[in-house]
Amino acid sequence: MEIGLDALASQLVVGLSRSMILFIVCAGLSFVLGVLRVPNVAHGSLYMIGAFSAYGIAMRLFGGSSAGFWLALILAPLVVALVSLIAERVLFCHLYEREHLMLLLFTFALMLIFGDLVKIIWGADYRSISAPAFLRGSVSIFGAPIPRYNLFLLIIGPLVAIGLWLFTNKTKMGKISRAAAVDREMVGVIGINVSWVFAGAFVIGCCLAGLGGALVAPTVSITLGMDHTIIIEAFLIVTIGGLGNMWGALVGSLIFGVTHSFGVLIWPQFAIVFPYTAVVIVLLLRPRGLLKSVW
Amino acid sequence: MKRTYIIIGIVVIVVIVAALVYYFAIPPKLERNIKVGVIDCYTGPAAMFSNEALDGFKLALDEINKEGVLGAQIEFFKRDTKFKVDIGLSMAKELVMRENVDLLVGGISSAVALAASDYCKAEKVPLIIWIAKSERITGEKGHRYVFSSGENTAMFGKAGGVALARKPFIKYWVAGDDYEYGHAIANAAWRNLKERKPEAEKIGESWWKVGEPDLVPYITAIMAAESDAVIFCTGGGSMVNVMKTAKATGLSDMVQVWIPTATDTTILRTLGPGGPEGMMGTSDYLFFHPDTPANREFVKAFQDAHGKHPGFPAFHGYITAYFIAEAFKKAGALDREKFIDALEGLKIESPIGEIEMRACDHQVVLPIFMGVTKKVPEYDFLISTDIETMTGDEVMPSCEEIMQARGK
Repeated sequence: MEIGLDALASQLVVGLSRSMILFIVCAGLSFVLGVLRVPNVAHGSLYMIGAFSAYGIAMRLFGGSSAGFWLALILAPLVVALVSLIAERVLFCHLYEREHLMLLLFTFALMLIFGDLVKIIWGADYRSISAPAFLRGSVSIFGAPIPRYNLFLLIIGPLVAIGLWLFTNKTKMGKISRAAAVDREMVGVIGINVSWVFAGAFVIGCCLAGLGGALVAPTVSITLGMDHTIIIEAFLIVTIGGLGNMWGALVGSLIFGVTHSFGVLIWPQFAIVFPYTAVVIVLLLRPRGLLKSVW
Repeated sequence: MKRTYIIIGIVVIVVIVAALVYYFAIPPKLERNIKVGVIDCYTGPAAMFSNEALDGFKLALDEINKEGVLGAQIEFFKRDTKFKVDIGLSMAKELVMRENVDLLVGGISSAVALAASDYCKAEKVPLIIWIAKSERITGEKGHRYVFSSGENTAMFGKAGGVALARKPFIKYWVAGDDYEYGHAIANAAWRNLKERKPEAEKIGESWWKVGEPDLVPYITAIMAAESDAVIFCTGGGSMVNVMKTAKATGLSDMVQVWIPTATDTTILRTLGPGGPEGMMGTSDYLFFHPDTPANREFVKAFQDAHGKHPGFPAFHGYITAYFIAEAFKKAGALDREKFIDALEGLKIESPIGEIEMRACDHQVVLPIFMGVTKKVPEYDFLISTDIETMTGDEVMPSCEEIMQARGK
């Protein structure tokens, strides 16, 4: 098959849009890793809860209307924020001083519990929601059809990135979080209630997972197990980007999303190999990630 | 004296006749309940199908246990395989060794089904697979102890190949989930298409990992290849993803798409009214077709119990229970070998009419309904229309082909 420029451009756009979802989820994971030093394996479960919550709000409460979709985008991350706040205050806040391996096992257990909770609440059936009418269908770009929803994701992704930058650089809470990421003891010494800073950082990170889940909901089947797929990719991305570095998460997401998209075009039978090869190359060249790791 | 002999003779004859009547007319009683072990995936994306199969199975058991089977009830023990071969095998062993089940049923994963089949062959335990679709289960890898109560990739593939061969398409793209089921159905469909239409050309293939969430890059790459038609070989959650993406990208409007289970109720119900129209699909059970009293009765009972229309998994679970009950009635004993002998060639009445468990390969003979997805006012989801029925005999490999595949 000959590969034309239009096909390349189309795959680039599609790859970038997938990168935006990955970035939103990975930025949250990276934020929690950076500030709390918690390798939160349950982050994927919060992404899944975000998707199921979006379904519940959009389809159950608002009957699949456009208003329901937009409200779901706002409320589903808040549902996840609430769940994560409870988890942080009840469980995590007692465990921050534990070994990373212990935290890893704890969050793994939490992932299994969240999975069962989702099954109890929403059942095992596949769920699906639709985007509003104007985001359905595709538009022709470079002669190739691109789903409108993917273009929407291309707008949302940078907006989230700007929002995160403003938060971490222009707000007191953000600055404290950055300081805690570098030296958490010092933040405590100067009289800041580190416990609530951690709670806030954890909730914001998890909220991003919920937003990612809500955003991806119209493009996939909302189902048990969607947490497993995303969490593996998310950890790879934050690792190649630099653990705890949010901009590293952006770079890692772009590498992962775009190499996968081009891989599909170049060698479709083995497309899955491309992003993982990129990860291996990055880790060989820069074992601590592309940008500065806070670990 | 002579009269005495006559009376004694009559009495002896009467006693013998009475004994014979009792032996043949009064059915034997089973000494205990029939124990069925269910091994299936109740975790993760495949759980939706497994749960529905179990719902159909339980519905049938409720009906069967009202009268009982030779004075006994059918009870079941459920175990979760988590879609993993090692866990599935452990669960099968646990049910056989600890619960002492008379037979095993279940299995949505072909890999788990094949592993369990090997185990059941070694342990001489009957196994009825109700969803897993690899044709190897009752084909190349088939044996005395394994049965299938659902259609398989050979049947779907042949139906798809036959249907596509009638269309004017030449250039095809084949894509799907990169696992046993995906490749098996792709091979079967392509083999049958090429046999009937040698000029058909496969211009490319793409395979994604099971559970791949974002199929847009794959679909846009397929669109760039400008094929006449696309064969998607996906299962489970990928069905919803691929149909959503095909609609969102406009692929379903641009080229003809065939997906084996595109017309299945379980999938179309999930997609709701926004599902893509015009997709060719294949199913061995439709809740509205054939519109017979038996099917309507089954649909109503399932709806009353579970609040939704039954899809193919519910149908498979339902007929499996009836095959088990009728086979034990015929066998007359809790004996695994007698049960297998009874199940071979057994015919039962089902919601879609009489169906048979073919004796030569232990594969249930089911019709395949080819159709095209379409919105209709009666339902809030798409259904299969323009239905063309292919009988089981038309789509199943012959017994000779099966024996050849098994090297006999």
